[in-house]
Order: sequence, then structure tokens, then C-alpha cells
Amino acid sequence: MTLPFLLGAAALLAALAPLLGRVLGREAGWPLAAGLAGLGVWLLVAVPPDGRSVRVDWLPSLGVSFALRLDGLGQLFAILVLVIGGAVLAYSCRYFDRGPHADFYGLMTLFSVGMLGLVLADDVVVMLVMWEVTTICSFFLISRSGPKGQASAARTLLVTVGGGLALLAAVVVMIAATGTSQLSAILASPLWGSDPAFATTVGLLIAVAAFTKSAQFPFHGWLPDSMVAATPISAYLHAAAMVKAGIYLLMRFSPALGETLAWNVTLVVVGLLTAVMGALFALQRSDLKELLAYSTVSQLGLLVATIGLGTREALSAAVVHTVAHALFKGALFMLIGVVDHQAGTREVDQLSGLRRSMPFTTAGVVLACLSMAGVPPLLGFISKEKILAAMWDAPGPGWVGPTAALVAVAASVLTLAYTGRILLGAFFGPTLDPAVREGSPAFLAPVLVLAAAGLVLGPGADLIEPTVTAAADAAAALPVGETALYLWPGFVPELYLSAASIVLGLLAIRSRHRVDALLDRPLFPGTAVGALLALRAGAIALGGRVGDLTRADTVRRHLAPPVLAVVALGVLGLVALVPGVDLAAATAASRASDVALVVLIGVGVLGVVVVRSRLAAVAVLGVVGFTMSLWFLALGAADAALTQLLVEVLTVAVAVLVLRRLPRRFHPQRRARTIAAACAALGAGAAAFVGVLALTGRPGISPVGAWYLERAEPETGGTNVVNTILVDFRALDTFGELVVLGTAGLAVLVVLEVRRLVASRRPRLAVPALSPSRFAWDNAVYARVTARALVPLMLLLSLFFLVRGHDEPGGGFNAALTGTAAFVLRALAASSDREGRSRLPAVAMVAGGLLVCVVSGLAGFADGAFLRPLSSGISVLGVSLTSALAFDVGVYLVVMGAVVAALDRLGPLGSSPPDEDEDEPGTGSRRDEVGAAAGGDGR
Amino acid sequence: MTLALAVAFLVAGAVFLVLSRGLVRIVLGFVLLGHAANLVLLAAGGASRRGATIGSPLDPATTADALPQAFALTAIVIAFAITIYLLVLAVVGGPDDDTEPEPDPEPGSRSSPGPDDREREAAP
Repeated sequence: MTLPFLLGAAALLAALAPLLGRVLGREAGWPLAAGLAGLGVWLLVAVPPDGRSVRVDWLPSLGVSFALRLDGLGQLFAILVLVIGGAVLAYSCRYFDRGPHADFYGLMTLFSVGMLGLVLADDVVVMLVMWEVTTICSFFLISRSGPKGQASAARTLLVTVGGGLALLAAVVVMIAATGTSQLSAILASPLWGSDPAFATTVGLLIAVAAFTKSAQFPFHGWLPDSMVAATPISAYLHAAAMVKAGIYLLMRFSPALGETLAWNVTLVVVGLLTAVMGALFALQRSDLKELLAYSTVSQLGLLVATIGLGTREALSAAVVHTVAHALFKGALFMLIGVVDHQAGTREVDQLSGLRRSMPFTTAGVVLACLSMAGVPPLLGFISKEKILAAMWDAPGPGWVGPTAALVAVAASVLTLAYTGRILLGAFFGPTLDPAVREGSPAFLAPVLVLAAAGLVLGPGADLIEPTVTAAADAAAALPVGETALYLWPGFVPELYLSAASIVLGLLAIRSRHRVDALLDRPLFPGTAVGALLALRAGAIALGGRVGDLTRADTVRRHLAPPVLAVVALGVLGLVALVPGVDLAAATAASRASDVALVVLIGVGVLGVVVVRSRLAAVAVLGVVGFTMSLWFLALGAADAALTQLLVEVLTVAVAVLVLRRLPRRFHPQRRARTIAAACAALGAGAAAFVGVLALTGRPGISPVGAWYLERAEPETGGTNVVNTILVDFRALDTFGELVVLGTAGLAVLVVLEVRRLVASRRPRLAVPALSPSRFAWDNAVYARVTARALVPLMLLLSLFFLVRGHDEPGGGFNAALTGTAAFVLRALAASSDREGRSRLPAVAMVAGGLLVCVVSGLAGFADGAFLRPLSSGISVLGVSLTSALAFDVGVYLVVMGAVVAALDRLGPLGSSPPDEDEDEPGTGSRRDEVGAAAGGDGR
Repeated sequence: MTLALAVAFLVAGAVFLVLSRGLVRIVLGFVLLGHAANLVLLAAGGASRRGATIGSPLDPATTADALPQAFALTAIVIAFAITIYLLVLAVVGGPDDDTEPEPDPEPGSRSSPGPDDREREAAP
């Protein structure tokens, strides 16, 4: 229960934090700090890191569980996260102004939970999630630091999320290769030794993830960049906790990867490079906070290089240095924050002699700085000694150890030099501003505890030795040997190296003006932030260029590629299909009467393609459509034939309403384009020919087709097999199609609502003022009389189709189209827009129809499933009442609503949106042509 | 064979129209493409058995396959709805909506820009 309690308690604090921040204001830090630090001390004192674990199923289908495990490494990092977190939160109480700080405290404690989860996770998926939690918390914490913070928060996020992707890739590779997501099982897998490609891949991915989080070259730019954040955030996330997530990750995988050469080389080379580079940059900075940021980059580099050595000695050195660094760097950040808070600046050039006005701060800074510089008897001295010793004894060729150690010494010299810059520049020397006051005791106390810890733990290193040993055991490949922590190592190489670094460092401090002059120039041609910005701009520009390929209003630019792709597929198909085509069977499937239909289709298509008049094109298209209806009839598809027939009537009616508003003729187009289109057309036609030939040659009916023919009547009671498929067997498909239909109808309404219709063309008829042709009412007399008789009949027919659809040709689709045709006829016979409009509530019909379908489908739950057909057993006038009939009523409403929506809005004669319609009966003179044309084609 | 020829004619006409200028011709092409697709659906059921799929009992040796017919039926209605939508798009907005007001590169053959002039002749 220890682990759930630990994480649960921290999560509870995180949940309470926003509330406390609102109620208590800045003082909310005290209870939160007490909570976190209390948990940390409890973990240190009372919980042995015995590898206890807890496991709760999380994503059982993926085999992922929410697993936590407490070993030495996890315990050490958890203690650091909790104790430093406590100190930082306590410090925040005086750093911030009075007022609510709900966001800050909420995010900071949430971040602690994320870190805690990361270091305790025993499942790589949980680890990844927690890793991202810390990234996201960091983003929000930086971005809330004012307008400058947002840009640098975005840059930080880009880098760390990139690293998160690398970790994701590593997690996927590990799960795929080892078959488990349990971290301890993965680490124990024999694959690491037996499969070098796997180990190298995962090792490099994890290294990249850690490098982004721990600000290693070339990803180091974000850390100094994020220094716009408030000091507590910088101290916690960017000095002591989040940047250590990368270190934790490296240590966690060190047992598995410690003997992979690519891992060793990458970590040592990048780490040492970053250590020296970061120290040089730090020496160049005059903003103390920025200086500390680069110092962090440098120290993390040293840690990465040490971990890369992979020996037990190195890992224990890295563990000790992690502790030492968290203590002195956290303290330094916060103390510089105190200076900034009290003196109003952190520019080293504007500060001097603070030791007189701020004695306690100065004492803390001196302690932390000496630990950072590795001066005895502080903890930093012990860790530096151990690192140098580990480097000197590095495995591999003989020159590696001394070289690495000398580079580390160079970094140490530079560290001493910038330490001198901090101390001599700001705290010693003449007093510049005597008005600067020391911070309040409550402000300083949490920080001084951290600074003093470095001093106590030097001589008193025994206190943390068990914890450090346990952590090193977990991090090293071979869990043997002791991690001795001592101040006096004897006369060994690392003592000389350490002494040399201190002496050289002191010399550098003495001649610091010359060093400053030497470094007062750009060391690299560019900066990491600049490179990141360029990369980002480049990525955006590249995306734009890719988008340009399809950024065109020209419809052809969008249609040609898929068409050509289909033609290309067809060419492939020609090669693959032609040998398999059973020509004899395909020919046998044809009938003599088909020839007439083929000729009609061919002539019709040719007509649509060649005519220049739009009206003629629509008329010829009607010929093709009616031929299609005959085709369906010839193939035994009576229902489809009926549907096609009705759709054709309505298509022509709608097309004519539209064409009134467009030029009479099609646009001319260039010959080259016509030829290109014709070539594509011939290619596509040939491909289609061969494809269909292969289909029609198939012998026999498909098993599913035979099943429907056999079972339709016994299962549903309907003898119209197509209709039973639509409303009984595959009603869910039909329902989906209805939604598409309804959406199309609503889309038409929306388009006509937001965009104005183009005005109708003026007819070229010259009608004398007193000619009888001017009076539409009179002219429409024949249509009107016909319609008066036909419209009710058609509506009756439509209802007839609806109720008999289950057994005979008809059904909801055909019934609705018939009914709609009745309204079209009525509109055509009308002498004005107002009179012609159906006034059917189109939207309500679409919505109501869908609702009817859903309700009839829900009734199916009575028999166990959505849309399961039910029969009431009652029969009225020979029509049996079933849920399928109700479903068909829904179909009827949706189809009619969708079509009527367009017809009404386009208006038989309207030249403007319906509400602005000013036509009057009896005077409209523009309707004759269209009325006649639509009537003629529609019949 | 005959079915394949009909589909070939429809597809060829459809592709030609879809690659032509002006939205209405594209819509006409779309309608033809819909016809072609429906015939392909029915072809998938085979063209040798052509008995109507109404009645009981039905002989699977002579009756057509009902499943492609059901697909074709709904496809016809959906294609119709989309056709209406496309046709409406051709008559909203107007010439001002023309985002590419470049002149026709062929002198002498210029027509007044119609509202369905959604494209220009691309300069070679």
C-alpha cells in the first residue's frame, strides 16, 4: 500500500493546490510544502527500497497495467523530487506577491506528481505518460510568465515533445520486441545482450529523449531560453527536477544498455561536449540566472558522460552528483531569486558587495557555490572526486580514461571560474547600493536548508550512503560492491586531478578580466535557439510548399490526380486481369436485347459530351438515365429501375431550375485540354471495360446472395428481397445512407442560406406588351388542369408504394420520389413562385424521418439488438404492421424532405431568395421558357 | 460483354466531363459516373441470372443477386442528393466568387465569365 499511498497523497495535494492557492493566496505554499517534504522524509526514513511493487490493470487489452515499483533509484529520485519540491514551494510563499496563485500551486504540485509517477513507474507506457505530464506542466508554467514566456514556452515544448516522440518510439520498439510493457521485465530481457541492433536502436532513442529533457547538445537551447519563468519554476523544473528526468531515464536503462558501445560513445561524447560548452557559455553571461542555466547545462553534461561510462563506479558517482547538484543548484537559483527580489536586478555588472547588506544570502550562495566548484569538505567535492575517478578508470582503450578525465577537469576549471564570477562579481567588492535589504527569514529559511545540506552531507556522507548505494545498485549493470563516500580518498589520480582543477580554477579567477576579454565574442556561428527557430520556420515553409500542390480553386487540379491514378490502376489491372477474363462466360451472360441498351447509352454519352447547349446536355443526360432504368429492369432489378426512373425525372427538374440562372452554352475550352481529357477518358473507359468483363464472367450466385433469396420471405415475411435487405437485414446500412441524404438536403439549405443565388437569365423572347403570352396564369391552364387531377393521384400512388414495398416493387425510397414528383408537377403548373412552393417543412421532415428510424430501431432492442425487425402480427388492409414499415416511413420522410428542400429554395421561377420574392401571379413574363422546358423534359 | 461496354462508355464520358471546364459539366460527369458505378455493382452480382428478385420461393439458378440491387438502389438516391447539392453550388455566389479572374489565354474565344466558371484555363 506504500506506493499507492505515496502517489495518491501527492495527487491529493495537487487536487487541493488550486483551491488552497485561491483561498490562502501565496501562503498556500506552506501546507503544500509540508505535505511534499513530509512524504519525502517519510520515504527516506521509513520505507526501504525493497523493490516492492503494485500493479493495477489499466489497458488490459494491450497488456498495459498501472504498475509502480520502488527500488533504490526510484526512491532516491522520489526523495529529491519531494524534498526539493517542498523547499521550493515554501520559498514561493515569500517570492510571490500577495494574491491568489491557484494556477501556480496547482501546476507545481501536479508536476511533482508527474515526476513521482515517472520515477516510480514499472510500466513503460505509464512512464511515457508521466514523462509527458512533466513536459506539459513545464509548458504551462513557463507560458504563464507573461508575454515573453509564451514564445519560449512554445520553443521548450517543441524540443521536449520531440524528445517525447523519441521515447514513444523507444517504448513501442521495446514492447514489440520483448512482448511486455513491464519495465522491470523489459530491463531483464536477454535481448539487450543478444540483439545489438535492438539495443542500439532503443539506446539511441532513449538518449535523444534524455538529451532533450536534460538539455544536452544540440538540444540545450531551451533551458536558458526558459529562464523567463519565475524563479521557483526555474529552481524546481529547470535545475533540480525536470531536467533530472532525463538523467533518471539514462540511469534507469543503464543496466540494460551499459555495455552497448553506441550508448557509451554517444553519452560520453555528447556529455563532455555539453559540459565544456555549457561552462564556457556560463562564463560569458552577466545575467546570474542565465549563468546558472548554462551551469546546469554543463553539470548535466558531466552527469550524462559519467552515466555513459556504464561502470558501477561511474553510476554511483553520478548518483551522488545528482544529489549534490539538486541541492546546490536548487539553492543557488532560489538565492539569486532572493537577490533579484531584493535588489531588483540580477545583472552581475549592477551588483556588488551584497555580502554587507545580505549576509545570510551571501552565506548560502558561498556554500552552494563551493559545493558546485567541488571544494572540500562539501558534498560537491566528493561527487566530483568520484566522477573524476570513474572517468580515469573508464573501460575501453587506455587513452579513453585519461582523456575523458582531462576534459572533465577542463569543465571543472571553467566551473570554478564562473563560480568566482558569481561570488566576486555580486557578493564581494565595494557596496554599490546600500539600500538593498536582506530577505525575510521565512524567505531564506527553505533555501538555506538546502545550501547547508551540502555542507552537512560532505563530512556526514554516511547519512545518505545507504540510499545512494541502493540507487547505484539499481542503476549499475552489476549490483556488487559498496558505494563508499569519503572526503579523503588517499593519494590517487582523482585527488591530483581535483587539486589541479581547483588550482587552475583559482588562477582563472585571478586573471578573470583577461578571461572575460578573451570570451567576449560569439564562440559559435549560431545559437541553439536560432537553429530551432530556423528549423521551425523551415518546417512550416515546407508544409506550405506541400500544401501548395493542392491549393487551387481549379476543380480539375483536384479531380485529375485521382482519375489518373484510377487509370494507372486500370493499366495494372489490364496486365493482371486480361489472362483471367473468361470471354466465353462474359459473352454468354449478354443477351441480344442488351445491344440496343448499349447503343442508347453510347449515343447518349456522346451527346452529353459534344453538345454546347446546357439545356440540350441535360436533356440528353435524361436519355442516358432512362436507358439506365431499362438496364436495371433487364437485369432483374425492378426496384432499382423504378428508383432510377423517378430520380431521372427529378434530376431533370432540378437541373432546369438551376440552368435558368446560367449561361445558355458551355464555356469554350482549349483544344489541348480537350485532347488531354479525352485521352484520360479513353484510358479510364478501357480500364473499366476490362474490370467489368472480369466481373460479369463469374459463374453462379454468391453464397450470401443465395442466402438472401432463400431466407428473405421466411425471415421477414416480405417477398420483395431488395426491400427486405434495405429495411430488415441491412437496415443499419440504410440508416447510415439516410443520414448522408439528410445531410445533403440540409447542406443545400445552408448553402442557399449563406450565399445568394445567381439571378435568373433574362429570356430573349420579345413579347409584345398586350400579347396573350404575357399572362402566365392563362398560359398554365393545361398544366394546371392536368396537375389538379394528377397530383392527388400521384400522392396516393406514393403511399401505395410505401405500404406495399415489402412485397412488391416500391418501398420508402420510391414512394418518396413519387410523392416529390407530385410536388414538382404542382410547382410547374403554378403561375408564380409563391403558389408553386410546396411549403413542406423540409428540415422537420429530415429530422423527424431520422427520428422515426431511430425509434423503430430502438424498438428492436425488445428482441435484443438495434434495428432488429419486429412484427406486431397485426395486419391492416393486407399490410402487416412491422417495425420495418415504420423504418420505411422514416426513409420516406427523409428522402422527401431532402429533395423538397432544394426544390423549394431554388424556386421554380424565383430570381431571388424566397423571402425577397416579388413575383406576382399573372404578370411574370420570364417563366415561360423554363416552365415549358422543365415540363417537356420532366415528362 | 454488353454490360462492360455500357460501363466503359459511361466511365469514358464521365471522366471527360469531370476534367472539363465549368461546374455544370463536372456535375454531368458525376451523374454518368454514378450510373457507371451502379452498373458495376450489378455486374458484381453477375449478368447471366436476370430473374426479378420478387416473390417466394426464388430459384437461385435464375434469379438475379438481390444484394447488389439493394446497394444500387440506395446509391442512386444518394448520388441524386449529391447531384442536387453540386447543382446548387453552381448557382450560388456568382461571378464575384470567381477566385481566378485571369483572362482566357485564347484570344477571341472569350466568353463572359459565367457563375459556374470555377476554373480558368491553366496557362501552359
